[in-house]
Amino acid sequence: MYLTKEEEKILNGEYGWAYETSMKILVRLGDLFGATELIPIKSAHISGVSYKTVGESIDFLDALARAGGKAQVPSTLNPSSFDPEYLVGKVPRECREGQLRIISLYKEMRIEPTLTCTPYYLRKPRRGWHLAWSESSAVMYANSVLGAWTNREGGPSALAAALVGKTPNHGTHQAENRQPNVVVKVDSNLANETEFGALGIHVGKFLKERIPLFTGLTNYTEEYLKQLGAGMATTGMTSMFYYREPAPKRDLERLSVEARDIHNTIENLSTISEDPNLIFVGCPHCSLGEIHSIAEALEGRKVKGGTELWVCTSKHVKGKAESYVKIIEKAGGHVLCDTCPIVAWMKNLGTETVMTNSAKAAYYAPSYNEVGVTLAPLRQCINAACRR
Amino acid sequence: MTLRKRESLKVTVLKGRPIVPGHCRGLALVSTKPISFLGGVDSNSGLITERDHDLKGKSVKGRILCFPHGHGSTVGSYVLYSLAKKGLGPKAIVNQTADPVVVVGAIIANIPMIDQVDIQQITTGDDVEVDCSKGLIKIMKEK
Repeated sequence: MYLTKEEEKILNGEYGWAYETSMKILVRLGDLFGATELIPIKSAHISGVSYKTVGESIDFLDALARAGGKAQVPSTLNPSSFDPEYLVGKVPRECREGQLRIISLYKEMRIEPTLTCTPYYLRKPRRGWHLAWSESSAVMYANSVLGAWTNREGGPSALAAALVGKTPNHGTHQAENRQPNVVVKVDSNLANETEFGALGIHVGKFLKERIPLFTGLTNYTEEYLKQLGAGMATTGMTSMFYYREPAPKRDLERLSVEARDIHNTIENLSTISEDPNLIFVGCPHCSLGEIHSIAEALEGRKVKGGTELWVCTSKHVKGKAESYVKIIEKAGGHVLCDTCPIVAWMKNLGTETVMTNSAKAAYYAPSYNEVGVTLAPLRQCINAACRR
Repeated sequence: MTLRKRESLKVTVLKGRPIVPGHCRGLALVSTKPISFLGGVDSNSGLITERDHDLKGKSVKGRILCFPHGHGSTVGSYVLYSLAKKGLGPKAIVNQTADPVVVVGAIIANIPMIDQVDIQQITTGDDVEVDCSKGLIKIMKEK
């Protein structure tokens, strides 16, 4: 890989261990993927925040922060394992302290504690910007809906890119690697976010790293596309998709998806049929529009006793949604920011059964959280949450 | 750990690709399955805890750890760092195909690493010498 004089200096440790180590990571990964140079990035988004997953292996973050590592570009953080109002008092002290320590180490490195998986609602990257983002659902959204350019980074490589302000130039940073290589014809009028998410889960399994171009998608909103990308990234290694371009004339492999496939996927993701303890909306974190829809559906209704309703979003979006938040809370729901049940200690908080409108959350809940799950669209989730 | 004298051993040399430089000798611990460091290896003991893993219950400490590649969360890299810091890490890593999780982990933990090695030629307990700067691995089996 070709390095500038300045980059060589960083690699040789002239700016300290934190930058040297970050540069080593970028250069070695660049070599591995056949990159020939580093390119500047506009922002980094970093996963590896929840104490539940990172746990006690925070030694490395501690070492980087002590060595004076600071982000060189605007950098944001993925969700943590509790919110600052509702769940914070319910987690054991040790977990609370561990989580706060992780966040404060990132803050020392000048990484904003945004604690959201939808950093694009906070600052929308422009078309053509190069980014180093981890969190696969955000990578999908950035590449496919916003037209920014990012590889699917892991937590450590996104952190290294934040500290150096650059990323190796390979993969989706190069136009020739952003071409679709399979056409997916959808023979079904997908009606809601859950069906879009299920489509993602279904095709992700076949795609591996290939980039799909969907034909036949109608009635999509940006929120539905967010679910599609999140689902696809859950079961596959894809980092982008096309949804409004015409199928190219080139001879490409073709797949087709029928209504039956979507149906089966939703059925297979549901592991229980009994009434859930927890209804969860907000994987990935809700947009302002989604919070609006939830408030509308809840207006004048009450969440049943013995049932919890969690709406997860970022501090940023919650701050803009004050009137909707009031309606949701008046109905007995909770609008939680900075977290989501998947990365929280759901089971220890008394949850055994969950209903969600997110195919990604439904995919992870039984294994990561050992809870039973039902996957159903928002209307049905709200009806299950409320007294009749 | 007892290393036998070289004279009584049959030596095979394999060539791989250098990933993290370093030179060392030790006993091999070989798996045919990928390893997830996050959730699959206990960072406080060095024991492999992954469900249904062929090395479950074995310690990676001080071994030349040979496995096809990593899988699972990218935060697994941090687990390798924690292991090494506590003196519980492997002495070297030999992979079939390097993946970003293990590569980053080996870099930050400063564990010598090579890949593109046919690990099927190595057996657990073999006395192994790795020169990860040159990408060479010398396997010494009893004659």
